[in-house]
Amino acid sequence: MSYFLQVVINGILLGSMYGIAAAGLSLIFGTMRIIFLAQGSVIVFFAFVVYFLFAKAGIDPYLCLLIIVPFAFLVGLGLFYALFQKATALEDKNVSLLIAVGLMYLIENALLKAFSASPRGLNISYASAVLVVGSIRIAYVPLGLLGLALASAAVVFVFLRRTRVGTAVRAAAEDMEATTLQGINSVWVCAISFAVGVGLAGVAGVGMSTVYSFDYSFGFTFALKALIALTLGGLGNVFGALAGGLILGIIENLTAFYISADWIEAVSYGIFVLVLIFLPQGLFGKRGLVKKV
Amino acid sequence: MASPLLEVKGLSVSYGDVRALTDVSLEVEEGTIVALVGSNGAGKSTLLKAIAGLLHASNGEVIFAEHSLSNLSTKHRVDRGIVLVPEGRRLFQTLTVQENLRLGAYLPKARANFSESLERVFGLFPVLRERAGGRAGLLSGGEQQMLAIGRAVMAQPRLVMIDEASLGLSPILTRTIFNLIVALNQQGTTVLVVEQNVHMALKVCHKAYVMKTGQIVLSGTGEELLANADVRKAYVGERGSKL
Amino acid sequence: MKSADVPTTGGLAYRPRRAGLGRRNLSWLGVAVIAILFFTTLPFYYSVANGQLGILFFLVFIYGIVAQGWNLVAGYTGQISLGQNAFFGLGAFTTGLLWFWNITHTGYWFDPVLMILSLLAPALLAVLVGLPLLTRLRGDYFAFGTLGLGMIIQVLFLNGGNVTGGSQGKLLIQVMPKGVTFDLRTHYYVALLVAIIATAVVYILTTSRVGLALKAIREDEVSAASHGVNVLKYKILAFAVAAALAGLAGSIYTYYMLHPMPMNVFNTDWLFIPIIMVVLGGTGTLIGPWIGALVVEFIAWYGEKYFPGWHPVILGVIMIVVMLFLPSGLTGMGENARHLFFRRGSRAR
Repeated sequence: MSYFLQVVINGILLGSMYGIAAAGLSLIFGTMRIIFLAQGSVIVFFAFVVYFLFAKAGIDPYLCLLIIVPFAFLVGLGLFYALFQKATALEDKNVSLLIAVGLMYLIENALLKAFSASPRGLNISYASAVLVVGSIRIAYVPLGLLGLALASAAVVFVFLRRTRVGTAVRAAAEDMEATTLQGINSVWVCAISFAVGVGLAGVAGVGMSTVYSFDYSFGFTFALKALIALTLGGLGNVFGALAGGLILGIIENLTAFYISADWIEAVSYGIFVLVLIFLPQGLFGKRGLVKKV
Repeated sequence: MASPLLEVKGLSVSYGDVRALTDVSLEVEEGTIVALVGSNGAGKSTLLKAIAGLLHASNGEVIFAEHSLSNLSTKHRVDRGIVLVPEGRRLFQTLTVQENLRLGAYLPKARANFSESLERVFGLFPVLRERAGGRAGLLSGGEQQMLAIGRAVMAQPRLVMIDEASLGLSPILTRTIFNLIVALNQQGTTVLVVEQNVHMALKVCHKAYVMKTGQIVLSGTGEELLANADVRKAYVGERGSKL
Repeated sequence: MKSADVPTTGGLAYRPRRAGLGRRNLSWLGVAVIAILFFTTLPFYYSVANGQLGILFFLVFIYGIVAQGWNLVAGYTGQISLGQNAFFGLGAFTTGLLWFWNITHTGYWFDPVLMILSLLAPALLAVLVGLPLLTRLRGDYFAFGTLGLGMIIQVLFLNGGNVTGGSQGKLLIQVMPKGVTFDLRTHYYVALLVAIIATAVVYILTTSRVGLALKAIREDEVSAASHGVNVLKYKILAFAVAAALAGLAGSIYTYYMLHPMPMNVFNTDWLFIPIIMVVLGGTGTLIGPWIGALVVEFIAWYGEKYFPGWHPVILGVIMIVVMLFLPSGLTGMGENARHLFFRRGSRAR
């Protein structure tokens, strides 16, 4: 039994990152109505940044957060105004989708070109420290992932519920035109949501760097996992997306230990397709966002 | 004589190749209530949206407080003092009443006077004060309409445009809403209403315009139009019922 | 409440309607004829078997076939599919495995039975998967569903053990049997032939009543449905035809590579590169994918030679730039310039 619990807990820890990435996707979708498929590649990009900050300047990854998060936010703003501003206003969402696809392809290959295909990992001195609770052993670093997720959730909650801008974002996610009628600039609301979404990607990048040996190709699969997490949790609910990530992590870990690691992907994508077909609004999401009108 | 607060001159709006408004001109004097009536598809909502900046006009001009609004975004128009209460209210259902009102006062000038405006809105619509913490989606139809108007008032507008205030409301509630609109007007706010309930609209307004297929076909004071035989026949039934 | 707004122009495949064959269409036809003549006669004055251009054009044809299929689904119907690589790989493996197990004995190279099966299998899969996805999901979620499909298929083949050869794939021929030679020219001609057939199929589909229905669906699905168009049927049709074309291309590829491997034939390159080709060349046109295929393949080929590793980055940049400024691609440039710059729309910016 405790073995089972151990697997579940590890799953939650690993799933935290899917959750953070998915929360970012959810925020972006709320106002822009597109799924930012390049989220995974952006996360890997930030993971590389952390790698270099750590390797060259010796900055602890968790300290890197102080640099990465504002940097990611600015990168998000830049990407939005450079690439998505015009496309967001179009009725044809395919344009935005393809721009995101192009961006993903670009980032992935730019990373490959710049940093070669060799995987990078951080050699953290305290990586082997373990917390022992009864018969359960939890390494501190993966526990840190959950910490990141909870911290992100708290920040996002405060942002959405307690700030003026966040309230505008929630309003825009519900009804963009009505938001415009209050004199709120819809482009700017989208930009902020996007930037926060990319900021979350930065956090996930930090997390990724601490536990994985990653390379340029992680981006694509990670984006898919984030998408699965988002779908599981349900569109329209940022915290649902976070939960979806945790659940996906648990499922993956259970698959790895009770079936085999080779089948993780098949199970994950299988669940994805099944959810899309039979439960498109996910576990916690709003109806009507994924289904056809 | 002071120029009108709002002047629309020769406005034309198209959806692609389809003309929705053709050469529309009207005037709204400050401090009055002006009604815009006509059957479905006459272009009334389109006109309000164009004035609010949601739609792009292919021809013509909108002048507010002697300044042209051409090329100004909705945000700037709200800042100048024009706010639209859209058809169907378009409240933020998942947000609370208070949050909806707060969003109405989003722009800096309005935000500075937030508490004042809030008191004013609660004064006009006391029920909103009681329901301030509740979700907007849980309000009744009449309350929602009040919130929608209240949200617009939070922006401290000089002109409020209301599209179909009586939509989905019982006759009693409609009368209540229109009394509130009159009260709002008596506080000094100019109101432009688009209404299906022609009788009600013509009764409370100072001036009215009749629209048909994208054009203004008739104008006059409320009483004049109520007395007009064509208007009565086309839009007003035996006892002032809706279309 | 939805205001009566018309989709803003400047979208992916906006095409001003043109009644009948205008002069422009005839000139494209002329270009096509010249191109076909050029490629058909090329091996007579250039050693295709030994020269680089042979392989280059071969790849152009293969990628182009996949691209033409994607064009049908995305450019004409407006559905973004992200599953072309799944169908390509499925076709490749169908040919590979059936050959390996010696199922049919109707010939060695380019066995027509195998090739037909290689286009049917993906088409069938497309119908099976397309039905639930298309009936329930919005546009972009349909795209992700196809993406998920691609990943599932890849994983299934990776885990297929001895049946599919696992990650090693199936090495089909170790040594050339007696009397059989490998001549690139044959592959070149087959690829060219299939490329022409693929384009012809798309041409026939899009200029028929089917094409009208597809375009109607792209412009305004709801309106099309209310006019009696069976939206689902046509979407599935486009999706299946695209899958069949991709599978066919995969089959030809297997005859060339002789070693279908999951990492190779399901590679996302077979997904992204055709999309970039169509986007660059012009969605919703017949010749667009081919222009795109030529340009992209040349960039890739010479990029690899002189600036190794850079060409994917360049292609990514191109894709983004095209989507930003010229969403209808190179062929759409002339037609759309007028509409993009002199729009008489009503949506305020």
